[in-house]
Amino acid sequence: MRSAVSGLASGDGVAAMRSMGRIIRSGERVALSHYHLDPAQWSEMLTVPGTTLPLISCWADDARAYVLLLEGDCPLLASTIVEDRRYLAPSSRFAGAEWGERVSYDLYGVEAMDARGNGAPALDEGGWTSTWPLSSRPGPAAGGLRPLAGSHLLRPEQTGLSGPLEFSFEVLKGKIRDVEVCAGAAHRGLIARLAGKTPEEAMSLVSRVTAGGFVAHPLAFARAVAQARGLVPGPGIRDVWMILLEIERISIHLFDMARTARGVDAELLATHCDHAREAIARACAEQGVSRRLMDMVTCDGFRDGLEIVPLAQAVHAAMQPRLAALEELHRVFAPRLDGFATLDARLAERFAVGGVTGRSSGRSMDMRRREAGMRLEALRATGSSQGDARAREGLRLAEIRDSLALMERILGSIGLEDDEPAPDRTEEGIGVAEGGRGDVWYWVRLKEGQIESLHVRDPGVSLLPVLGAMLRGYAVDRVPAALGSIGLSPAGIAL
Amino acid sequence: MSVRRTGPLSLLYAFMDATRWRPSMQETAPRRERPIGLYVLETGGCEGCFMEIESLNGSAFALEQAGFVCVNDPADADWLLLTGAVTRVCAEMVDRVWRAMPPGRCLIAVGACAVDGGPFPAGYATLGGLQALTPVRRSIAGCPPSPEDLLRALQELAQG
Repeated sequence: MRSAVSGLASGDGVAAMRSMGRIIRSGERVALSHYHLDPAQWSEMLTVPGTTLPLISCWADDARAYVLLLEGDCPLLASTIVEDRRYLAPSSRFAGAEWGERVSYDLYGVEAMDARGNGAPALDEGGWTSTWPLSSRPGPAAGGLRPLAGSHLLRPEQTGLSGPLEFSFEVLKGKIRDVEVCAGAAHRGLIARLAGKTPEEAMSLVSRVTAGGFVAHPLAFARAVAQARGLVPGPGIRDVWMILLEIERISIHLFDMARTARGVDAELLATHCDHAREAIARACAEQGVSRRLMDMVTCDGFRDGLEIVPLAQAVHAAMQPRLAALEELHRVFAPRLDGFATLDARLAERFAVGGVTGRSSGRSMDMRRREAGMRLEALRATGSSQGDARAREGLRLAEIRDSLALMERILGSIGLEDDEPAPDRTEEGIGVAEGGRGDVWYWVRLKEGQIESLHVRDPGVSLLPVLGAMLRGYAVDRVPAALGSIGLSPAGIAL
Repeated sequence: MSVRRTGPLSLLYAFMDATRWRPSMQETAPRRERPIGLYVLETGGCEGCFMEIESLNGSAFALEQAGFVCVNDPADADWLLLTGAVTRVCAEMVDRVWRAMPPGRCLIAVGACAVDGGPFPAGYATLGGLQALTPVRRSIAGCPPSPEDLLRALQELAQG
């Protein structure tokens, strides 16, 4: 992370980032990493000259608007009051904030002033029972679905993704010029369902946010809750969480690799990925846990009866012998992915794209590196930084090798003590987990033991603003293959 | 698999592995004039059921030997496998896909969400499963069901 952030800017840029951080810290500190800014401080933060801190997420509710930033490898949360349902748009400074502003308008009816973009609905396509459903003053239902603009549509069932996401394209001479995304079809009202529950009650729902993060989502949530409660999980729990996350990473990488391979008719590679993933699922089942590790993470640890050492050994034994064949097949088929759906390094930096997609574009963001107790020597994957589908596929393979090495290291010293101090109990916490598809973030605020407010940021959200650039110049019928190589989850994006 | 197979023959070894792994049906394959066409539609869940069906349709399972084939066009489908909690926005999509299927079509709810919403019951954005649109006569339980469970259930449904 340090190299990623220092790579963002140097000289004046670093000074500007520090001054942005200083402006935020001039506000009232209300939690470990959260500062309340008055409107003048908020405006100053958005207009301070120089390079910006990387934006992780932006959101707003009836009362406040928030930006979650990264300073070095630490999260920094700034918020300001929403007055008369309006706030100064973070997108006026942070390019990636636009999606969060549009979602906030759809859910709460709060308006981002001086926002970028056309303000098109992100979630509300007109089919809900009310307008601004999470607002204290919701409006009547829109009374029918609104058609998306654009000369070409890719309907939710035509994207090749695992969930319904609707795309509209501006197409010139058969080539995509611009893309608009609407995620309303996949929106389940998750925030409304979680509010008012205790974290323990909420966990089963959090475990079902997206199949791309059956471990990563509940783990990020559990970490946020622990911070809110002023707790630090012990080293034994921490290591179990790490191993579960690595098993999930291997499985998700194999799934995305198979889908990418099928997108370019590399059926033999896809076959080997299918069998490797199924071998892992069977190893999990034989160890008495669910095939995809659903419901393994709890707020204070992990499911009773989970025997992590034999589970890790079984998964390792199932996967390790298959790696050589996968690597050989990747070498054979990789040329088919050359230059396909490329993400430029500058865009990856600008929009804080993480996960495999960001790292294969040269952004070295991997939130595992900041975790206490991480065996850093196992995380060696670098790979190509070309940003294309070949680089993503190669990095997935390299990360599978790293995951196996990391599991070996953890098993060699499981429960290794470290001296991470417990934070003060503030009833508010931020948690992150570097899942198979990128960094999953949760912010939670508790009141009398229940969730008063919550924000979820799936890594797919940071990909939305760069999709247009990645797909530009391709025919619409190439879009499913491109999306497959990116590893996008509509369920995680839409919540 | 215990020998590291690299070099010029690696592709041949990989092909031989894939051939050796080719799934075969334990029982006698059903006799049908043509396979049953399956169209899979996700309508707003965690995507777990959809991904398990994708696994079933991959190389590790004997879906086609069991007499089924996944199709990309609802016009070629006999059965609609519906996953997810059915968001209100998706209702129109379900209707569109259903109408595009030929006569004799069959609707199957796959997973807890698709039947009654499961952990995502009716809300401002969701209908709470297929039961909000139509009586659910055929379903496959699970959260998510494994590919083996799915295949077994499909065979039972095919046998009537």
